[in-house]
Amino acid sequence: MATTVTTTTDTKTVLRAAGLSCPSCIAKIEKQVGRLVGVSSVQVKFNSGRIEIQHDPAKASVDSLVKAVADAGYRAEPSPF
Amino acid sequence: MRVPRGWRLPAGAAALSAAGYALVHLSTEGSLGALVGTALLLAATVLAGRPIAVQAVRSLAVRIVGIDLLVTVAAIGAVVIGEFWEAAAVTTLFAIGKALEGATFDRTRSALADLVRSAPDKAVVVRDGRQVEVPASQVRVGETVVVMHGEKVPVDGVVLSGTGAVDESSITGESVPAEKTGGENVYAGTIAVSGLLRVRVTGVGADTTLARIVHRVEEAQDAKGRTQRFMDRFAKVYTPAIMALSLGAGLVTGNVELALTLLVIGCPGALVISVPVSVVAGIGRAARDGVLVKGGETLESLARVKVVALDKTGTITRGRPKVQQVESVDDTASAADVLRYAALAESGSSHPLARPVLDAAEEAGVLPTGVEVTAETVPGKGIVARWKGREIVVGSPRFAAEVASGVGSAGRSHSDPSEQAPAGPSDQALARATSVATQMAENGRTPLVVLVDGRPLGVIGVADQVRRGAADVIAALHDLGIQRVTMLTGDAEPVAKAVAREVGIDDVNAGLLPDDKLAAVAALREDGRAVAMVGDGVNDAPAIATADVGIAMGAAGSAVAVETADVALMADDLARLPHAIRLARRTAANLRQNVVFAVATVVLLLVGVILGGVTMSLGMLVHEASVLIVVANGMRLLRPVAGA
Repeated sequence: MATTVTTTTDTKTVLRAAGLSCPSCIAKIEKQVGRLVGVSSVQVKFNSGRIEIQHDPAKASVDSLVKAVADAGYRAEPSPF
Repeated sequence: MRVPRGWRLPAGAAALSAAGYALVHLSTEGSLGALVGTALLLAATVLAGRPIAVQAVRSLAVRIVGIDLLVTVAAIGAVVIGEFWEAAAVTTLFAIGKALEGATFDRTRSALADLVRSAPDKAVVVRDGRQVEVPASQVRVGETVVVMHGEKVPVDGVVLSGTGAVDESSITGESVPAEKTGGENVYAGTIAVSGLLRVRVTGVGADTTLARIVHRVEEAQDAKGRTQRFMDRFAKVYTPAIMALSLGAGLVTGNVELALTLLVIGCPGALVISVPVSVVAGIGRAARDGVLVKGGETLESLARVKVVALDKTGTITRGRPKVQQVESVDDTASAADVLRYAALAESGSSHPLARPVLDAAEEAGVLPTGVEVTAETVPGKGIVARWKGREIVVGSPRFAAEVASGVGSAGRSHSDPSEQAPAGPSDQALARATSVATQMAENGRTPLVVLVDGRPLGVIGVADQVRRGAADVIAALHDLGIQRVTMLTGDAEPVAKAVAREVGIDDVNAGLLPDDKLAAVAALREDGRAVAMVGDGVNDAPAIATADVGIAMGAAGSAVAVETADVALMADDLARLPHAIRLARRTAANLRQNVVFAVATVVLLLVGVILGGVTMSLGMLVHEASVLIVVANGMRLLRPVAGA
């Protein structure tokens, strides 16, 4: 039996989105980002404009997260906390 | 004229729409002008509509029926039935609205953005005796950082040496810089405006007060209160209902334009953002003023508060008791003797009133040093100490009476030759001591009777100092319509009453143990009025948790208070209390205005469409305008409130 050693090193990245003005866009961002390989969870907080993402940076880089948000139509930046 | 990016598209579409509209209406039907006009309108529709359609398709790909889809269907439908102007107007207005909303909604979030921006990025740390500059996140707890004037404090820490003034407004909302010297706390994100400080690091990055505030504010803004949940539910039903209505109306009446117009007004717009804009702006404004609120619901509760319970020590008073008065009741003993005996007894004690007695003795130059004293604390009563075979008692008047009567009226003469007290009935001294103690208590001082070998020697009056401006704060609370301001304290009733009189508090609950405070708050809540409890957030945590709104004061230094209290006043300043209530009421009123306006707009639009008169373009205009009005109203909360 073959054993594969997988090291999952999920980290939490917080992005702050600009121009978030309709709550229905939340689902759109969540699904765009959630589709990426390596992203285990994503939550958009509309009121504060925060996007919290659990992901494996080796598979889904922060840049790719930002790009996925851009595909949903929004500009976002990584935040220190 | 240069048009900023993001505005080029809406501006271009608007220009095309306007030109097209003018041409179509000025030219005779079928003429070249009308044809060109129609082409311009189509161009505007395509320009403004393309990104909307792209988003609609992307949403559909992840199985979401969004506003983009509604607008796209409406615009295509309008083109199909030949309503080019409506198609151009709907898409252009939507594009303009989007651009405006994004920019303005971000403004309501600006308070939080400012907080995040105040996070430090670099630090000068001392390593191997050398100062090196490193990213603030790489400083380790226990290291020493150097903060020069004009620089941001990079970490939370304690000042080791140096002095300087620090602008702490990002944390406390207090605009006057605080003077810092050795032993005092400094916070990451504050700015050293003068001096030079060496700081031992206690917290870095996410483990700083600033990070906790940012986190707390975000959580608060995202916490959905009852009103927001209601509006979300309403919107969730509203959009599909309007879509069904549109389809039904189209099929039954065959009126495609009516069906498309219904689609346009089916966007929930103002409904779903009416509450968030007020809450986000209100909580952000409060945070800037050093008032951290747990969420929109807390703001609404705080706005409704009718009864305020205040802890006395550390809230109304400064929490630093001092000896105010020393009276001898024995003709042979001076006030200094009374103080010296008291200091002897207290030197081995951890009693809360030991510190002020020792401080006063030191000031008077009678602080005993290097003496051997054995002391025993009698809880709630006082302290019994033995020194060179003599018994010194320092305690409450009641305890003094017990001790004095315990030795009988025969009295006991002092055996110390330096004290040559005449042998007399101790009754007389006790009577004098009791009367002096009663008088002190009535003046707001806690009396400590000092007895030597069972004989009253004198009385020491200790009092905490009332905070400056406390009376103004109580008056402000009354002006705000707070029906009852009550004081909760463990102190004796006469002392508590004197303080209450001084600051204008209505009633007093004295002699309370921590559990009694909890019961007192619960009792206040019984008649249904909303009760706020204000304390330091540590000793009175149970009472604070029981109140409708628990308020912790001076929370900057306490991570627990920041995270648990409903409202945390970061500055150690009682004047923030009425300010917090004012902010809460302003936000609650703003929120109500927005909800009423948003619901009224939707109802009016719906009635307008069904009765006729509201076209697609008018519907979109009203819809977008209502969104902007709601956002603009919320933004009013960002303005500073008077009396901050």
